Amino acid sequence: MENLNIEETKYTPKIDMDVKSGTITIIGKSYPENTFEFYEPVMKWIEDYFAGNAQFETKINLEIIYFNSSSSKLFFDLFDLIEENNSKFNISINWIYDEENESALEAGEDFQEDFENLTINLISK
Amino acid sequence: MTYENKLIAEIETLKNDFINTTDKLIKDVKRQDKIMVRSDKRQQQEYDELQRKLQEVKLLQNEIEDTQKEVVFTMGAIGESRSKETGNHVKRVAQYSKILALHYGLSEKDSEMLKQASPMHDIGKVAIPDAILNKPGRFDENERKIMDTHAQLGFDMLKMSDRPLLKTAATVAYEHHEKWDGTGYPNKLKGEEIHIYGRITALADVFDALGSDRCYKKAWNDEKIFNLFKEERGKHFDPQLIDIFFDNLEQFLEVRESLKDQF
Repeated sequence: MENLNIEETKYTPKIDMDVKSGTITIIGKSYPENTFEFYEPVMKWIEDYFAGNAQFETKINLEIIYFNSSSSKLFFDLFDLIEENNSKFNISINWIYDEENESALEAGEDFQEDFENLTINLISK
Repeated sequence: MTYENKLIAEIETLKNDFINTTDKLIKDVKRQDKIMVRSDKRQQQEYDELQRKLQEVKLLQNEIEDTQKEVVFTMGAIGESRSKETGNHVKRVAQYSKILALHYGLSEKDSEMLKQASPMHDIGKVAIPDAILNKPGRFDENERKIMDTHAQLGFDMLKMSDRPLLKTAATVAYEHHEKWDGTGYPNKLKGEEIHIYGRITALADVFDALGSDRCYKKAWNDEKIFNLFKEERGKHFDPQLIDIFFDNLEQFLEVRESLKDQF
């Protein structure tokens, strides 16, 4: 299975998914023109990863500065997917936010509340 | 009997499927609603934040512009104070210049910029020795030569800048002693070779200087000034600007009145 790397653009985040280290990192803004199209390969990769390629210790770093509402929906789908695999692997999610970015912190708190079975750490920069 | 049981079993399955599907639908709709509410809230916060930052940028921009204006004006005042002219001289020249610029057809923006830059027209005088600058009576030939270098000196001080305001000031400092007929200095430029900023400031400066007491002369009366202007139309001064001056005389006299020197 190949790693997946997507460069940051004005409207989309930088994405690095590394099979060997079991690390998934998404950093930046998320305002894609077509959110589901943009994240399709990402979701596909994660599905394939959990279907036989995953490290037991898997770390997911999310540092999303700003995001639109369809990205928000996408993150729910992502957390659903993680939740489905949560019992088979030790997955930790780091929601990283800038101290001054209150709305990023609140979004992290909301996800914590919605996905009680997941380990979501709120980490301030 | 078996037939009936089978049907019930199928209906039971359907019922469970239906419940599962509706549960999932309800969950999805709730989630969707939640996303919308949160997104709206988040977007509002972000919008507020952006507005706040924009306001900050605007304030900073004003601050920069005000500082720039003040520095430019103060530099002009320094130049004037060395030659014992009053601070109001530069203010009046600035106002006259803007009136002339607007009637000549320059844009509000360019006219305002000229107004702000014109106080620096004599900045080169800071490099002229006091003994010459404040000499009562006429200059000898050598002193006149040194005095006249103030245009070049002023230009040299300002020419390095890329800022529009300082570029304008450099032009004004350089060309405000050029004359329409080509007998001025430092470059003996003629007619429209002289930048419009230079032609305007020349007229504004002379009008104010003639009407003020200086260390080497008493103020002229208006009749004498106007006669000189008519005589110098097309010689010292751009004829079009002289026409504008006389056509709008009250505006110039109003400025002179409102910015009178106080003793």
